[in-house]
Amino acid sequence: MDPIFLGLMGLAVLFALIIIRIPIAYAMILVGGLGITFINGPALVLNQLKTLAYFQFSIYSLTVVPMFVLMGCLASRSGLSAALFRAANAWLGWLKGGTAMAVIAACAGFGAVCGSSLATASTMGRVALPELKKYNYSGALATGSVAAGGVLGILIPPSVVLIIYAVVVEANIVAMFLASIIPGLMATLLFILTIAAYVIVVPGSGPRGSKIEKEEFIAATKGVFPVLIIFGLVLGGIFFGFYNPTPAAAVGVFLVFAYGVVTSQLNWNGILESIKETASTSGMIYLILLGAELMKIFLSRVGLPQETASWLMEVGISPTMVLVLILIGLIILGCLMDSLSMILLVIPFLWPVLSEINGGIYQGSEGSGFGMSTDDLKIWFGILALIVVELGLITPPVGLNVFVISSLVKDVPMIEIFKGVIPFFCVEILRVGLIIAFPVITLWLPTLSSG
Amino acid sequence: MNVAEKAIRSFVLFWALLGGLLLFLVVFLNSSSVVGGVFGSPIPGDFELTEMGVAIAVFAFLPYCQLTNSNVTADIFTAKASPRWIALFGLISSLVAFMFSILLFWCMTQGMIDRYNYQYTSAILLIPMWIPYVPVLFSWILLFLAAIISIKEFYLDIALSRAV
Repeated sequence: MDPIFLGLMGLAVLFALIIIRIPIAYAMILVGGLGITFINGPALVLNQLKTLAYFQFSIYSLTVVPMFVLMGCLASRSGLSAALFRAANAWLGWLKGGTAMAVIAACAGFGAVCGSSLATASTMGRVALPELKKYNYSGALATGSVAAGGVLGILIPPSVVLIIYAVVVEANIVAMFLASIIPGLMATLLFILTIAAYVIVVPGSGPRGSKIEKEEFIAATKGVFPVLIIFGLVLGGIFFGFYNPTPAAAVGVFLVFAYGVVTSQLNWNGILESIKETASTSGMIYLILLGAELMKIFLSRVGLPQETASWLMEVGISPTMVLVLILIGLIILGCLMDSLSMILLVIPFLWPVLSEINGGIYQGSEGSGFGMSTDDLKIWFGILALIVVELGLITPPVGLNVFVISSLVKDVPMIEIFKGVIPFFCVEILRVGLIIAFPVITLWLPTLSSG
Repeated sequence: MNVAEKAIRSFVLFWALLGGLLLFLVVFLNSSSVVGGVFGSPIPGDFELTEMGVAIAVFAFLPYCQLTNSNVTADIFTAKASPRWIALFGLISSLVAFMFSILLFWCMTQGMIDRYNYQYTSAILLIPMWIPYVPVLFSWILLFLAAIISIKEFYLDIALSRAV
């Protein structure tokens, strides 16, 4: 059988299986495993399976994943979100729309200890939504800000999806983290400006909060120190090369755990729930990773990414056009599927295509398709892919952040939440445009640290 | 729910919690190694202990994922399907998990025997590399049992929806 035909068949079967609710991990394992069997015979697959799973589960750079997941689970149950919101509100609450801005700032802060969007939206929602209601914020603005703020959780390091991407494309995790900082801060700032504009356009949607006393201001500000210390020790330590991401993540878990226990906000039940959540999340991630590895082997054996790349070049579509098309495709897919499984599903195929278009994995910036070295392309594309994939969290029909928030507030209809999200969505598209036009936004910090 | 099923369910949860405990141990090991490193004496072999610990822990999570249906699916395409169809899809997935657990148990047993025969050890602490395979194989047995429970549940769902 023609290998390219076999590869395309494989992809078609994969999507068919996913459509009929076969877990994404098993769909990839089935197609990847059977695909390799078709090409190389069953003996080779059986031989690989002797050690592949263990090998895959014990990759050192992946060990940060369950740790950061655990850290996020513990952080959600340790009252860190409440402390952050209180401080942000003390600083910004007096502004028009200030409490909603405080949600964004607090989400950004919480994103610095938690790598999951959903966890950020749900914990912050629980803390902030009652306050927003108290100050008579419109339902759309209140819920929209929490949903959008949740998106920040994923881009501000440590981000679980970013780590997964780095492992799949074999990028440097530290460089990826550095690259995500400016786009993350940019989003925070743009979201706050969006709220400022929103309250002007829709008067009465975000009234000023009450003036707070000096004591409360100082007490609230002090509450941020634990987060600053944890963030500083975990990411500062990584950036200054004091330790690898894994020990850093371990230190982070330990500090969040200690904070929760010392402030007695984390009880036995909270710890048990954290472990259970970590178990289901990491088990799911690793199983998909195993499937992604099998798919990667299968696709590279049939040479599908190379063929696709040369076909795209023959057709004469410019590299930037290919990138834009891919991003649009990712936004659409992101509306149908959760972000993490999507990264694992499409990146093993898309990344080799892009790298091929650029001129191969060792291509320097001169004479390359995208005008940058393949290593830089890896980082730049990763950040872009991550942002657009996350947009799916706030768009219908699957918008998970919106569903989480909708379960927290019963009196705001789903359509209002989606309306509240629209301004933030537009700003996100603007941000993607800026990052495409000026790759330096993502690449500046990584180059600074390496050179 | 009969006694056997109840026992399996509790044990799968217990096994996942043990995995969580192991993850905590890895966290403490790494944290102490960092503190030790500051004073010039990091824990030797923390790399390989971390790799082994995390791998064993994550394998221990897999049966729990199966029982709690945590393996993500894309539900959107079949959101309007009848409960009976959805149960049928669930049954197919559980059958896949069932067969996969048997296959991997068999393959990894071979892998363990290979590693025992060739006497592979870890680089620094010289831990025989067949040892971490033992709890992993046990996790596959639990996944096998968990898959049987899911198969039974989805089968009952189909039978019930036919009755209605």
